[in-house]
Amino acid sequence: MTPKKLPRKEKEEPRIGVYVCHCGLNIGGVVDCARVAEFASGLPGVVLSKHNLYTCSEPGQELIKNDIREHRLNRVVVASCTPRLHEPTFRAACEEAGLNPYLFEMANIREHCSWVHLHDKEEATEKAKDLVRMAVARAARLTPQEVLEVPVIRKALVIGGGVAGIQAALDLADSGYRVYLVEKEPSIGGRMAQIDKTFPTMDCSICILAPKMSEVGRHPNIELLTLSEIEAVDGYVGNFSVRVRKKARYVNASCTACGDCAKVCPQVAPDEFNAGLSMRRAIYMAFAQAVPSTYQIDMNLCLNKHGIVACDKCYQACQRQCIDYSQKDEILNLEVGTIIVATGVDVYDPTPLTEFGYRKFPNVITSLEFERLINAGGPSGGNLIRPSDQRIPKTVAFLQCIGSRSKRSNIYCSNICCMNTIKDALLIKEHWPETKILVFYIDIRAFGKGFEDLFQRARREGVTFIRGVPGEIIEDPVTRNLTLIGEDTLLSQLYRYEVDMAILSVGIEPRRDSPVIQRLLNLSCASDGFFLEAHPKLRPVDTPTSGIFLAGCAEGPKDIKDSVTQASAAASRANILMAQGKVKVEAITAVVDETLCTGCGMCVKVCPYSAIRQDPETGIAQVTQASCAGCGTCVAECPFSAISQRHFTDQQILAQIDAVTEEAPEKKIVAFCCNWCSYAGADFAGVSRMQYPTPIRIIRTMCSGRVSTEFIEYAFRRGAGAVLVSGCHIGDCHYINANKQTEKRVQRLWRKMERLGLDKNRLQLAWISAAEGNLFARKVKELEEILRGVTPEEIEKTKQALVPKKKGKGEPVEA
Amino acid sequence: MKRISKMDGVLLLNEIRFTLHEERPPLHEERKVLIMIQSIWELFNKEELFECYQCARCTGSCPAAMVMDSYGPRETLLRCLNLGQEAVITDERVWYCTTCHVCEDRCPQEINISELLTAIFNLAAQRGNLPEKIKFAVDMIAKTGRGLIVNEKVMKDRQKLSLPPLDPLNLDELEGIFKKTGLHEVIDLS
Repeated sequence: MTPKKLPRKEKEEPRIGVYVCHCGLNIGGVVDCARVAEFASGLPGVVLSKHNLYTCSEPGQELIKNDIREHRLNRVVVASCTPRLHEPTFRAACEEAGLNPYLFEMANIREHCSWVHLHDKEEATEKAKDLVRMAVARAARLTPQEVLEVPVIRKALVIGGGVAGIQAALDLADSGYRVYLVEKEPSIGGRMAQIDKTFPTMDCSICILAPKMSEVGRHPNIELLTLSEIEAVDGYVGNFSVRVRKKARYVNASCTACGDCAKVCPQVAPDEFNAGLSMRRAIYMAFAQAVPSTYQIDMNLCLNKHGIVACDKCYQACQRQCIDYSQKDEILNLEVGTIIVATGVDVYDPTPLTEFGYRKFPNVITSLEFERLINAGGPSGGNLIRPSDQRIPKTVAFLQCIGSRSKRSNIYCSNICCMNTIKDALLIKEHWPETKILVFYIDIRAFGKGFEDLFQRARREGVTFIRGVPGEIIEDPVTRNLTLIGEDTLLSQLYRYEVDMAILSVGIEPRRDSPVIQRLLNLSCASDGFFLEAHPKLRPVDTPTSGIFLAGCAEGPKDIKDSVTQASAAASRANILMAQGKVKVEAITAVVDETLCTGCGMCVKVCPYSAIRQDPETGIAQVTQASCAGCGTCVAECPFSAISQRHFTDQQILAQIDAVTEEAPEKKIVAFCCNWCSYAGADFAGVSRMQYPTPIRIIRTMCSGRVSTEFIEYAFRRGAGAVLVSGCHIGDCHYINANKQTEKRVQRLWRKMERLGLDKNRLQLAWISAAEGNLFARKVKELEEILRGVTPEEIEKTKQALVPKKKGKGEPVEA
Repeated sequence: MKRISKMDGVLLLNEIRFTLHEERPPLHEERKVLIMIQSIWELFNKEELFECYQCARCTGSCPAAMVMDSYGPRETLLRCLNLGQEAVITDERVWYCTTCHVCEDRCPQEINISELLTAIFNLAAQRGNLPEKIKFAVDMIAKTGRGLIVNEKVMKDRQKLSLPPLDPLNLDELEGIFKKTGLHEVIDLS
């Protein structure tokens, strides 16, 4: 279906239809929607104004469609929830009725009004009126836009070769796409390969994973890149170019994994795969089932450094002559259409919790170390032995919630530790039924399918569950036995248990190097450090950056089943994009007015995507539409107003400022929020019902880089009490680093205000992420304090002082 | 180490009292308006306690709980929240706490348990729920500036260890501290 070409009438009179949504009681319970609708009917250009219970419902959408046809509406404004939720819904409805989707505008009176002003109905209604006024003013100036379609490369990149990455790669490869699977470790398999058994079915972990791993290794559509790391990512949905460093393995592909080399290697180090419980050589294979089944040399450990061969024992031992000390890192440039992030988790290190004596007492171990001990392929051959004297322990204690649910470590529940402990306890009972097992817990969370059954089985088999985590562990220096001191909360009695071995059931946390991936891919992180999904309920595997999807524990702690489910979901989402072969890019790109451009090159300097280049002869700027991401930084920077951003023009934003400052401007805070972080942060404050003062009026831009000094000065000239500019944290900008320009610009304006003797406190800059609703609420409260201190004289003075000296926004700021 | 019996202390204290009474007026005469604490929630943010999930690491770490069974910060906290402050401040067991701060150090939710206990102490003391032993110790400090009894035997022991003799302390300074911290508003030091 091709979109219908609409006849463009340049000087068409706006005929705006306004729909105020009650959203049941979500909005209607606080805001007087009828009054808002009545108010809207009096606004310029509005020919029709209605209020209904659920505008997003099928009848609600039908109503809009009918009105467009019947009343010849050429603009539609819906005042309801955040545009981040239903803008696509209403745009589609407009398009079906023959209206260009870019002639639709939303006023957010739920997340930004009714939900955050629950107890001030009168003020909330007034604010809703203002928000509608702003939306109508902007709508009147909207123009139809043609959506650009870009091709999607039918190749995918999967980052991380754990069970989630494996599943996603296999799903996509089976669908017929070429898949690059990048893993930084020498073998794929991830955490699941380290675990002995899986809950709740007690399947052998590696037995079910190994077939999948070898399938990846031999799949014709999968190119497996182990010992590889992502170094740079460029481009946009459908057309990413990725630079990958494939580190030297020093052993070539003809290795048969015979192991002759490792036998003669003189260098040893703790084995990472066995959680440091055994030793490996400098030339080694990660583990027996490793894919690719190839040895590699750890050059940090090997004696042959910098091309000088000091020891060639392995070279001599290798009959097939696979070893090459001079191998170099390879740089690969991949072109892919979609990216799946499955970077997984690290295990919490309990060393800081000194009261448990981990690393001080040999018989205190973590649950991951336990997995390696009980595993037949592990260092002890599957015998549960205590590290101090290699005896099989008679009494074993498990301590729950170590490194989870705590402000001292990670505040979230790690999701897997309860069931993992129950599984581990049953495993011990299976092999050594006489062992006494004590589980010290706070809450047992057995929430999944088959989990409660397993919990009951453990209790029936005599595992003792004691409610109350020990305060400390002390060790007998002679026997190396441990005494746990704590309180049984159900008996309100102190206990002292002597055990042979204590297992700390440690939580899981984001990969220590996940900030690198976050920066490379422009992802957002929640406050706990896990990657943020586009919507927690309805888009759980999408990221805010289109074309990039999440799978497995990178998004949050989850067990194997959930990781696999999510991986398949991510693969299917990527499949949708690649199957269509093309994707629509939002019509928000920058366009140059060649008659105004003087070729100064300012825009070229600030563009984060290098999407602008200057004509070599005339110097006039040219924007590559497919590369432009639509941040609008160049528009704000252009001293001659020669660039404008489609759908976010100066006129549209100035009209919104006009609307805010039409009545009692001194009592208003004009806030510019970027779509990805601070606007989303404000939405989050709404969803969490964080209450904050009413004077704030939010104007959405795609990036804070779009906010020009002219907007801020204009707001002050109109008498606004305070102005807030907010965006993503520095380093987290959705448009690489466009917010650096915002920072510079605001600082420039602060200096100017200072020079003119104005109160620079009235202009605030805040970095607020999508997860920091509380920070947003706090900032608004702070601004309200500032607002209260602003005198009418100060406002008048600012109005006078900021009058532009010459026409146009190119006034020199630095005299 | 031989323990000083309670009787020794009382006798000594009476002696000190007798000598002090002649020189200085009792502290309460200089008192300003007594600020009565109505509720411990004036001294401690109740919302902080809602974060407690009763993991019992505090009681498990408590040196007082180790020697005095039936006492523990976890239970104190829960009683405070669910049974109300009266149940706690009338309970002599709270005074086993030595404010060593280990519970607070190990609390996964970083609840200021010591602060809560201090609030409980203050309120309990103000209501007169002060165990005799504690009152005795406070009086000792108020009257002599020392928490331990200094008698002839102590002096002799010090001499044996070639430590200098203990001089009487400047009580004016101490009184200033009491006033500033509001101790005499909480405890009647007459």
